[in-house]
Amino acid sequence: MSGDAARPSSPDLSTRVGPLRLQNPILTASGTFGYGLEFAERADLHRLGGLVTKGLSLEPLAGNPPVRIAETRGGMLNSIGLQNIGVDRFLSDVLPGLKDLPPKVIVNLFGYAQDEYVRLAERVDPYEGVAAVELNVSCPNVSKGGIEFGHDPEILTGLVRRVRSATGKPIVVKLSPNVTSPQDLGRAAKEGGADILSAVNTFVGMAIDTATMRPVLSTVRGGLSGPAIKPLALRIVFDVAREVDLPVIGIGGIETVDDVLEFLLAGASAVQVGTALFRDPRTAERLVDGLRERLRAGGIPSVDSLIGAAARPE
Amino acid sequence: MLDVQALPLPYFLLRVRVAAMEPAEPGQFVMVAGANRPEPYLRRAFSVYDQEAASDGSLVISLLGKVIGRGTGALAACLPGERIPVLGPLGTGFHSVVDGASESGRAALVAGGIGSAGLGLLAQALARAGRSFDFFYGGRSAEDLVEAETFRLLSKRTGGRLVKTTEDGSAGERGLITTPLEAEIRAGAGYTTVCTCGPHGLMAAVAGIAAASGVAGEAATETPMGCGYGACLGCAVTLKNGGYALCCRQGPVFRLDEVAW
Repeated sequence: MSGDAARPSSPDLSTRVGPLRLQNPILTASGTFGYGLEFAERADLHRLGGLVTKGLSLEPLAGNPPVRIAETRGGMLNSIGLQNIGVDRFLSDVLPGLKDLPPKVIVNLFGYAQDEYVRLAERVDPYEGVAAVELNVSCPNVSKGGIEFGHDPEILTGLVRRVRSATGKPIVVKLSPNVTSPQDLGRAAKEGGADILSAVNTFVGMAIDTATMRPVLSTVRGGLSGPAIKPLALRIVFDVAREVDLPVIGIGGIETVDDVLEFLLAGASAVQVGTALFRDPRTAERLVDGLRERLRAGGIPSVDSLIGAAARPE
Repeated sequence: MLDVQALPLPYFLLRVRVAAMEPAEPGQFVMVAGANRPEPYLRRAFSVYDQEAASDGSLVISLLGKVIGRGTGALAACLPGERIPVLGPLGTGFHSVVDGASESGRAALVAGGIGSAGLGLLAQALARAGRSFDFFYGGRSAEDLVEAETFRLLSKRTGGRLVKTTEDGSAGERGLITTPLEAEIRAGAGYTTVCTCGPHGLMAAVAGIAAASGVAGEAATETPMGCGYGACLGCAVTLKNGGYALCCRQGPVFRLDEVAW
């Protein structure tokens, strides 16, 4: 209290997301900032609340053939196909450079079979620098695995339960928006032992080149991200946060301080910034500064006081 | 931004003052967008066509563009004095030609239309190094050879020359630029390197000609890009070995013989 009185102009940006304690609620989303370290010259990693790695699989993956992205109004479609260096190289080459930085490192894991998620969780479990694992059970861009696990509540519960037994790390389950009721999947993840939900992954969409009369993406369908999906994602975060008794990390088209505030007010305890980093690699740190400034200007003492405020009765 | 110079439609030249940017190497690019315009969502990749150090220590870069869609349209519509975002310099340029092992013999630079923007700094570097090159400049029509005079003067300084073709015959020989390129090689022009930038079909044809005549070379490629700095992994280029490389990092300049054209 005396601290608050002494420095009324310095709002508390720290936030607790289940077992995770973050210095601020701004994280970078999986697949939008590589493994973090390679962009240390383009962004100030120290100032992030957390960093979610590109999805890691047991073996390195080359990804999908071009064309992999298509710009759309207010966003873009992607079909990268989970190109990544593999979990072992991440742990040996990248993690040592990340583990002592202030942002929490959340490792995004992807498998083609349940067993692969389990083995991935076992691989990262001994590493102190890994603050949590995020299960990618909602990637729309691979034909097998991933999304199957995220669209069936029973399968998801079973998968999370198996991962739960393989690691003591906090488990984040990244929900797909491409289902009728994401909150049902959220409940299923909780039943399996998830600690945190992140919502949402990309929306399945497509684009057609009117000159060639063919789909733009080599895989025809891709995941839509960017400001275009923000209201859709916000609705899901609102529903999931109200109906599932787990902390939620909001994701979907976040680019401005108002976007961050909306997701917090809808019930998110933190947010991930993704596609906006493509426009400007400093977006996340800009949002940290902007959020602090906004809280100060509004006399709001902490991020905590905002979380879920829009869902409370007036 | 200092000014927007309207060239014959649909071309334009932007001159932008950037406070803190390393000079670009030949073939490197920047990501830019119009000022305060939410659309289009992503920035656009532009080769650094020209650059000069200003007296105050800043760098002034020139971007040669062609209005094709919403992104280039927004840039052409910029007003002098507006501030626009610039990220760069990005990517890997024409290393092996400028300072690599093949730094002897004559060079052929082959541009298709606005692809000439990707060869501006290279032509200057060769001219500075006193290395002789011919500049092959092809387009649909005379208007597409928008910087012909610049490249004529640069090649001339090295003892080389400008060769033009247009598909409609409005400038130079009627036809494709690969025809005089092949003819020169057959006639013994003595090229040890060929560098190209332009439409995919042109670069693929140049790669074929280079391979057939045993000449090494490089191409400045182009793909749709999300970020330009290696984060989105969207700009994959398929290599002959079956793998993918990122246009924005390992590229945009690749050896002609490593790309699966």
